[in-house]
Amino acid sequence: MSIHARASALLFAMAMLVAAPAPAAEDPALLKDLTAVLMLLGMPCGEVVSARRQADNDHIATCKDGSRYRVFVNAEGRAAAQKL
Amino acid sequence: MRCAAIGLLALAAGCATVVAAPPAPELPSAAPAVTAAPAVTAAPAVIAAPAVIAAPAVIAPTATRPAAPAKAAREAAKPAPAPTLDVAALKERLRSTSACGVFTKLALKNQMDDLLQQFRAQHQSGGASGVSALRQPYDMLVLKVLAVVQDGDPSLARMISGSREAIWGILVDPVKFNALA
Repeated sequence: MSIHARASALLFAMAMLVAAPAPAAEDPALLKDLTAVLMLLGMPCGEVVSARRQADNDHIATCKDGSRYRVFVNAEGRAAAQKL
Repeated sequence: MRCAAIGLLALAAGCATVVAAPPAPELPSAAPAVTAAPAVTAAPAVIAAPAVIAAPAVIAPTATRPAAPAKAAREAAKPAPAPTLDVAALKERLRSTSACGVFTKLALKNQMDDLLQQFRAQHQSGGASGVSALRQPYDMLVLKVLAVVQDGDPSLARMISGSREAIWGILVDPVKFNALA
């Protein structure tokens, strides 16, 4: 393999590493909100460390202990949590 | 060639972590139970009453003026004026506070509504003793609200804490309760 080809492969690999999606930036206010609502709903969680938005008022929350909950507003307009 | 291999190895490792990181979306499946706000209380309307916030203690100089402590003691012995409970103001404070987010506010509102519903049912059934059984859920809900609010909005937490008895007084009195609703 020529030096050129090797350099290209390395550059490509490095570019892919750099371009890999970074972990989603978490909004501390949202994490705090999800932590509080899980506490209010009596769900064992402790602290929400990451969250992913699925839709408006619908998030998947991941707790410090690894458990995950779907937190959403249900059809009756109530805040609800569902263990995943 | 070795460089390329190392590069690809690094790439593979990087991809592995990337793939592992985001949790699978998992939409609500049939199995897991859904917990909707168990709601203990409702209407932020119930929680009002600033007023009662602890007044700073009055420390009178003792040695130089003996008359002053006696006067202070007499003042202290007088019954404190009944605290006025501004339900609307407290309601507005709860709505507008940035100490908690939308989900938290909604969950608290659900729980407040549920508790108010229980008070309403008790008043309609005419059982005064039944209302006192709601003291524990009421206290629990107040504690929850305080836990949520106290870090981000200490003054609101003091306001709620100071209004606890006044709010209870409204809730247990059918006339005041109906006037509130």
